[in-house]
Amino acid sequence: MSSNYTYDYIIKYIIIGDTGVGKSCLLLQFTDRRFQPAHDLTIGVEFGARFVDVEGKKIKLQIWDTAGQESFRSITRSYYRGAAGALLVYDITRRETFDHLLIWLEDARQHSNSNTTIMLIGNKSDLESKRAVSYAEGEAFAQQHGLFFMETSAKTADNVEESFVDTAKDIYEKIKQGVFDVSNESNGIKVGGHLQSKNVLPLTTDNGNNCC
Amino acid sequence: MADINFTKKSLLRPHTSTLPGSVKPVESKTGATKLVIGATYSYGQNVSLTSSDGLSYLQSQPSQLTSRREPSPNPPGITFSSDINDDISDKDSSKSQEKEVEDEPVINSDPSTLIEKSSIGLKPDIALLIKDPMKTIDSMKLSNSTVKQLNETQRLRLERCLNKFKDVLQSANIDLDALRNLSWLGIPNELPSELRSITWQLLLEYLPCNADRQVKTLAQKRQEYFESVSKAYAKGIADRTIWHQIHIDVPRTNPGTVLYQCETTQQCLERILYVWAIRHPASGYVQGINDLVTPFFQVFLSFYIDENPENYDTSYLPKNVLDVIEADSFWCLSKLLDGIQDNYTFAQVGIQRQINKLKDLINRINAPLAAHLQKEGVEYLQFAFRWMNCLLMREMPLKHIIRMWDTYLAERLDGFSVFHLYVCVAFLDKWSDYLKSRDFQEIMIFLQSLPTETAKWKEQDIELLLSEAYRLKSLYHEAPNHLSRV
Repeated sequence: MSSNYTYDYIIKYIIIGDTGVGKSCLLLQFTDRRFQPAHDLTIGVEFGARFVDVEGKKIKLQIWDTAGQESFRSITRSYYRGAAGALLVYDITRRETFDHLLIWLEDARQHSNSNTTIMLIGNKSDLESKRAVSYAEGEAFAQQHGLFFMETSAKTADNVEESFVDTAKDIYEKIKQGVFDVSNESNGIKVGGHLQSKNVLPLTTDNGNNCC
Repeated sequence: MADINFTKKSLLRPHTSTLPGSVKPVESKTGATKLVIGATYSYGQNVSLTSSDGLSYLQSQPSQLTSRREPSPNPPGITFSSDINDDISDKDSSKSQEKEVEDEPVINSDPSTLIEKSSIGLKPDIALLIKDPMKTIDSMKLSNSTVKQLNETQRLRLERCLNKFKDVLQSANIDLDALRNLSWLGIPNELPSELRSITWQLLLEYLPCNADRQVKTLAQKRQEYFESVSKAYAKGIADRTIWHQIHIDVPRTNPGTVLYQCETTQQCLERILYVWAIRHPASGYVQGINDLVTPFFQVFLSFYIDENPENYDTSYLPKNVLDVIEADSFWCLSKLLDGIQDNYTFAQVGIQRQINKLKDLINRINAPLAAHLQKEGVEYLQFAFRWMNCLLMREMPLKHIIRMWDTYLAERLDGFSVFHLYVCVAFLDKWSDYLKSRDFQEIMIFLQSLPTETAKWKEQDIELLLSEAYRLKSLYHEAPNHLSRV
């Protein structure tokens, strides 16, 4: 996919969560629509990108996939600031990855923009027989902390698309409402040149800016 | 030796691996009892480690956790002496877990993944090789099969090269500087595989230069490692977090290669990494160190076999051979990491410093590239972190990394820090033309999967990279203001 393809917005995401919960596999499923069981482990951060369509707008998601190991925390923290969306991932078959969510959430709240949309993801939903965290528990945690919630399977692709796109929808909603200062790229949002020049923000969907 | 195709099913088994801390006595064929550390258990199984009674645990009966490893893949047509795998042959009663494991579906049965299997391929005189590796020097010569593929000029060149190595290595007190000069230029793959193994161990000062001390030192160091392993696992697993991390990382190390997907290798790597981590609490295990042990393991394995080590299933190795490969790999990894320890301690300051220097050097040697990266908002940390953390092992095929290490090891102690930095400078500079015409996203995606795979990058590309790094280092190292913009 050429990045010269005109975009209306670029939105930056970060994916966080314990080691081995499937962060890189979620990203690969989303960007390449494939599952790689023996994925190389992530060192520091890795980058992925894909277009999504939200209300007719071409939104380019640029995603930082972070290493889960504690040792890399001081490096990965620097990626929170520039992210408008955060996917916080745990593994429904490993209880401890759910137990660590509070630590991750505190870290995210402390280092990211206060308007960052956070999506809680319980991954590996295909492994129902090994489930150690119920859907209700995940949902309750998300409600309690004001997060979106979904269970996904990077292996079967179930809900993967939805988790990235729904996050984008919420962020786009915030853009329309003027919650973000979109002139400042460090908030994780960049406006396409053609929209910038019109200097009409927030935008409605019918103002004829779809150049392609 | 029969080369036989068989599917990935038998090699890439559904994940089982060793649980350190489970130690069981095994009757060997001779009747002697040996201790086997490790047991297989299925992935995700809930394991509790409660034993804390030290050595008495070593002698305890197999716990219910302890099930035996699966029998080695044993394709029809391969026969091997029955005592080879005696220590790990399958004669345990608790097989229920294995049954379950074997019944799991095969993840990938694509016929294109058929893997050619090595036969045993051990070199003769193994006992002597283990005890005194230097004894191989005198008889080293180009193999007949190698000679057949060479023209006269190539043969003469390689023979000259081999003789230079032999001259240095046959001395009772080896001249390390002379050995460095030879190794810097690369140890040709056509030369006997023992040569690289010995040279690396000497350059790391693991194997002493003094001929009188070699046999004794090796025996001592290996014994010391075996004791460290016993001690590390004697009371169960002291550090669950580190152990779990290693345990999930080892199967993700070189996932496409037979050598690293066979369980026996994975058990070795797991022990090496765990023992190293608990002996170095300031850093512990950091992801990426798992990559750094593989060149040693592979080069030292090739000392004992006549096969391509990457296709070798180590369950065919006698235990005493496997043990010394593991011990030697441990010590050489330790030596390497000693020189770059602050890459892995808190906040990884060594890496941050390296990245700052990389940025500074690019500013000086290629200002247009530096300006373009800045304009596009590309930060060096975003792509170069991995270059430093894994010493470019994710960017190059392992065979090229091994060639690079001939030079790194010849650069004395700072080969993996200072010289590596200049290799990274030369490496980034090499892609300059492409990078300067791309935007942020294209740059990031390109730098994350560089076109360096074996098919495109040849040995000469590595030679050029190393000589460019050498040139840059001579110009800029210890000359912090040279060509800098004041």
